[in-house]
Amino acid sequence: MQKLDKQFIKKVRRQDRFATRAITVGGMLVIASVIAILVLIVRVTLPLFQSADAEVSHRFAVQSGTAPVLAVGMDDTQEVGFTLDTTGFFSFYDLASGKPFFSAPASTRKAKVQSVESNKNNVFALLWEDNSVTVSQVDFRLLYDESGQRTVQPEISQLGEYPARRYPSQVKSMMVRAHEDRLTQVALLADNRFQIDHEVVTANILGDEKKEAFSFLLKEELPGTITAFTLDEQGKALFAGTDTGSLLRWDLGENASAERTDNVVAVSGNKGVTALAMVFGDISVAVGDAQGGLATWSRIWEGEGDDRVRRLRKIHVLTSHQSPVERIIPSRRSKSLVSLGADGKTHFDHMTSEKHLLNLEPALTMAGISGQGNGLIGLDSRNNLTVWSVHAPHPETSLKTLFGKVWYESYDKPEYVWQSSSASDDFEPKLSLVPLLFGTIKGTLYAMIFAVPLAIFGAVYTSQFSTAGFKKTVKPVVEIMASIPSVVIGFLIALWLAPIVEKAILAVILGVLLLPLVFITIMVVLKPFYKTPTLQNFCSGYEFVLVLPAILLAAALAMGISPTVEQLMFAGDFKQWLYNDLGLRYDQRNCIIIAFGLGIAVIPIIFSITEDAISNIPPSLTAASLALGASRWQTIWRVVLPSASPGIFAAIMIGFGRAVGETMIVLMATGNTPILDWSIFNGMRTLSANIAVEIPEAPMGGTLYRVLFLCASMLFALTFVVNTGAELIRERLRKKYGRY
Amino acid sequence: MTKKFLRQGEPFVWATGLALSLILFLTLILFYVVMANGLAVFWPKKVALATLQDGRFMLGEIVQEEIIPHTDNKRLQFKIGNRDLYGLDFKWVDASEITSLTYPKDVHVLERLEYGNFYGYLSALEVKGIAPPASGSNSLALTIDALEDRKVEVHLLGKKIANLNRRVEKIDHHLATARYNKEENTPALAALQGEKQGLKTEFEALVSILGEKSAALATNQAIFTDANGRTKAIALPNIVRSYQPNNMSFFAKCGYYLERLRELLFDEPRESNTEGGLFPAIFGTVMLIFLMSILSFPLGVLAGIYLREYAREGWLVKMVRIAVNNLAGIPSIVYGIFGLGFFVYGIGGTIDQLFYPERLPAPTFGTGGILWTSLTLGLLTVPVVIVATEEALGSIPPGIREGSQALAATKLQTLTRILLPMASPGILTGFILAMARAAGEVAPLMLTGVVKLAPALPLDGVFPYLHLDRKFMHLGFHIYDIGFQSPNVEAAKPMVYVTTMLLILIVLAMTSTAIHLRNKMRQRHSVVDV
Repeated sequence: MQKLDKQFIKKVRRQDRFATRAITVGGMLVIASVIAILVLIVRVTLPLFQSADAEVSHRFAVQSGTAPVLAVGMDDTQEVGFTLDTTGFFSFYDLASGKPFFSAPASTRKAKVQSVESNKNNVFALLWEDNSVTVSQVDFRLLYDESGQRTVQPEISQLGEYPARRYPSQVKSMMVRAHEDRLTQVALLADNRFQIDHEVVTANILGDEKKEAFSFLLKEELPGTITAFTLDEQGKALFAGTDTGSLLRWDLGENASAERTDNVVAVSGNKGVTALAMVFGDISVAVGDAQGGLATWSRIWEGEGDDRVRRLRKIHVLTSHQSPVERIIPSRRSKSLVSLGADGKTHFDHMTSEKHLLNLEPALTMAGISGQGNGLIGLDSRNNLTVWSVHAPHPETSLKTLFGKVWYESYDKPEYVWQSSSASDDFEPKLSLVPLLFGTIKGTLYAMIFAVPLAIFGAVYTSQFSTAGFKKTVKPVVEIMASIPSVVIGFLIALWLAPIVEKAILAVILGVLLLPLVFITIMVVLKPFYKTPTLQNFCSGYEFVLVLPAILLAAALAMGISPTVEQLMFAGDFKQWLYNDLGLRYDQRNCIIIAFGLGIAVIPIIFSITEDAISNIPPSLTAASLALGASRWQTIWRVVLPSASPGIFAAIMIGFGRAVGETMIVLMATGNTPILDWSIFNGMRTLSANIAVEIPEAPMGGTLYRVLFLCASMLFALTFVVNTGAELIRERLRKKYGRY
Repeated sequence: MTKKFLRQGEPFVWATGLALSLILFLTLILFYVVMANGLAVFWPKKVALATLQDGRFMLGEIVQEEIIPHTDNKRLQFKIGNRDLYGLDFKWVDASEITSLTYPKDVHVLERLEYGNFYGYLSALEVKGIAPPASGSNSLALTIDALEDRKVEVHLLGKKIANLNRRVEKIDHHLATARYNKEENTPALAALQGEKQGLKTEFEALVSILGEKSAALATNQAIFTDANGRTKAIALPNIVRSYQPNNMSFFAKCGYYLERLRELLFDEPRESNTEGGLFPAIFGTVMLIFLMSILSFPLGVLAGIYLREYAREGWLVKMVRIAVNNLAGIPSIVYGIFGLGFFVYGIGGTIDQLFYPERLPAPTFGTGGILWTSLTLGLLTVPVVIVATEEALGSIPPGIREGSQALAATKLQTLTRILLPMASPGILTGFILAMARAAGEVAPLMLTGVVKLAPALPLDGVFPYLHLDRKFMHLGFHIYDIGFQSPNVEAAKPMVYVTTMLLILIVLAMTSTAIHLRNKMRQRHSVVDV
């Protein structure tokens, strides 16, 4: 025997050690990185549920001795803040140093400002003591010098000057809205009446423009003293709250008319309304009361048919203050609200999600929001200006908005809605995942109803009744079926099958009903002949070919009688009948199509796994059963299927997992409408298709982006649970029968 | 008697047979629809001339006929083409309105660069610069052939201009980098500026030459009349192909079919992807699978070997095995969104910030591209490869391992000399199946870099040859895009069927190979088992 070379053995050992280490490290890395997917996806969704936080970025004392401050504000870069005081002067401060650096009057007139109102970002309407009004806008220009250093340059521009009108008594406060060709001025008088002044520019057919002015008093009996009022952006709706807790609303018409549309009790316990403000988008009004309550009200359609009327209803209740609400400042970018209590506590809430975002402590008398909504500025009673930088990335989402019913603006009642975006900026995103989950379950369920019996019966036949040669061919065929890309199935069912089914929907339904009938008839006819062993032997193993005529016959019959049936039973038009008599709308891309498409996609999977499970049953079991005189069906039904049932269950679960996550088929063939309706004649939108549809419009890091990641993690979790369950069951089955 | 019949359950056996029958029947129908529609697309159809009751004529291919609902009358759908004249390609006509249908021999069908097909009669040829061919039935085809040289010349000129463009772009990129690095007035910069200026002048000169040449080429035109005598002049360079289907022999038709097939496989798409070839999409699909394989095959095999041969069996390995098994069943769209969040925005965004800051905010790697797509698909297929490797290794009888080690072979030697060769068909099978799955996946691609029309292939002759940041086209996405997002779905349908057929054939070829390999492997193993 040749002696082994020591060098060689050393080398081989070294290589082996190295390989062991490399393979171990590499293998573990691969597995770790694959597992890390879930962690990463879930991490993207986490900020959705983070609470907001704010930190004081600047705080300094405003020069003492100046006149009382009526409003505060700041620029988008959060570098310059300003105050507006009763002399009508804007004073600008460099926030970093707290130094005032610029001051200018809103108007050159030397009068005293009585009150200030703001309905847009950095736009202020000043009511002077002589009852004239100036509307001023504060602009910030960003200037870059040679070295690229940025400075913020404030500018004040006048948007409008409105001379004093004649008023029967003293004016307490005033609101002005200039919208397109219409100017509306609403003044609250000291005798608890409103005076409304309209200026409307109208054009006649020839294009000549004419200016018309109207002035009138609202003379109606009011349920109490007006304590707060507000106007919408267009100046067409006037809201007022009283000290008795009533909330009133008027429609301001084109000429000298105002119609009171609502008079509701907004605050119980005879406590008054203390603050009103329009929420961004001008659909809801926020109401603060003397008890510290804060709610938003919106006009809702109520009643049925011709009796439908719009009524103001409370749609959201936000976190209460401990003391009366003094002031509500809406964000100009989202449905968020800042509210100041009499005790100076400041709340930051979001309307849709009713999320309480922030609770700021120092006793503020005045506050403002930056244009981006990411900064707050406030003035406290000791004349300190404080600036908070706010971090509230996704105020509109909470577990409740994602999974619960939410009362959206302009909806009759709280509902589950998915509608992620729209053309307008003041849109309220509706991000309920319930319709998507529902759609996913609906599509999968119909598909399983179609696929499971076919796949399991087919597998039973293949493994137990067919000839060995046929079994060898059918398994690869099914595997090839499994490899058909889903985009191909999606295309075929959406563009080829769907139009055919739409034309012949009744024939399809009749066919499904007729097939068992035809089959039973054939069986009954066949029965007398079946005793002959020659026929039995001849048929055995080829039953599936011999029943093919039943399918063709049923199909032919269904097509043949469907026009007659349609004439006789459905007045000549089945789809019309569906709609008129059952109230079901027929969509071309519906659940029948989806069931078929998803079914084709999952049948091979269920088929293969079931076939494996049945084939793994030890032949000794079947042989014993047959030897005891059981027929072949009895053996299957009583012996094989019960033993294989965990495997078959696992097959169904894995098929379910595949159907739940299938994207292309549902994307192409469902119509993608997120509706909550079990009808088989319309479509749905599934979680997976939703991701594919929405992701191109979701900017990275935005709310929609994260919600789509949430959809993905839900899909992940769903399939992972289902697959793990199936895997554990299969493992047990393997162990159970492994000993045979 | 009946009771016994039922108890024995023969009808139920037949019922299971019925289920299998239905499955096979449905599959067969699907394949038949794809093949029948896909194969027939390129066969030249006869063009019918319909004389209508109001005395007007209509020329077109009969696409389908159906019975009008609630009546006994039939109606026919014609593809009438001539979109520039009529505005629509398809028209339904009631059979009762048609007084006669003939198939005139001299009808010309033109495939054009724009406005789809043209159906009509040739009335005159206006040709400059070349000798007009003798009049005859194929005079048009001869003239078009004669212009071929000049068309090629124009085409080459266009390529030259594109090349110049690329060079200018490159200089622009250098300039942007310099600007980003705050370099000013350096001699290198001035030289670049000068070179750019030079290229620009050259570019403009070439563009004007190209303009003249193509204008001269476009003056060669053919005058056609449609069924009702309306004349239409069509510039010859706009005609891709002309043929007279009613005057073609069987072999001519076969030739035409082969020519269209060649165009399909090797040419670029035209008319917003609804005409022309599929070359970029085929190339993108193949390239994607190739890149994905480079990633997923070694990693998957490595992890599989580790799990089966090196990891100590315990609850951890068991959990990992179940997890990996499951990952193969995670929906592809989940991988897609992960690829978008992690690869595209995460890694791609970081690469952009580190290496291409001068191009920001325009992303280089921070947007979808073939690299990210193949990484995503790689992740998607890794679990499949792991499972296949493990199963292939697991099915080798332990006696073989023990025998090898008893002969003093180390673990590595056992692995490389004995186990891997034996397991390789199994691993390969699993891998090919994974590739087939990846070839048909579309959902993750839509999120990570596939586009409907890519301006350039990810692999070309320009340095650095392999452009991993480029977006690409894909057969599967092509089906979705032209079938569902094209403005004229009806006209696009033939192309969708052809693409579908091609994709199915590719996937089928891969799957069949895998199944064949596995069957061979089984035979080998059965010998080992004994």
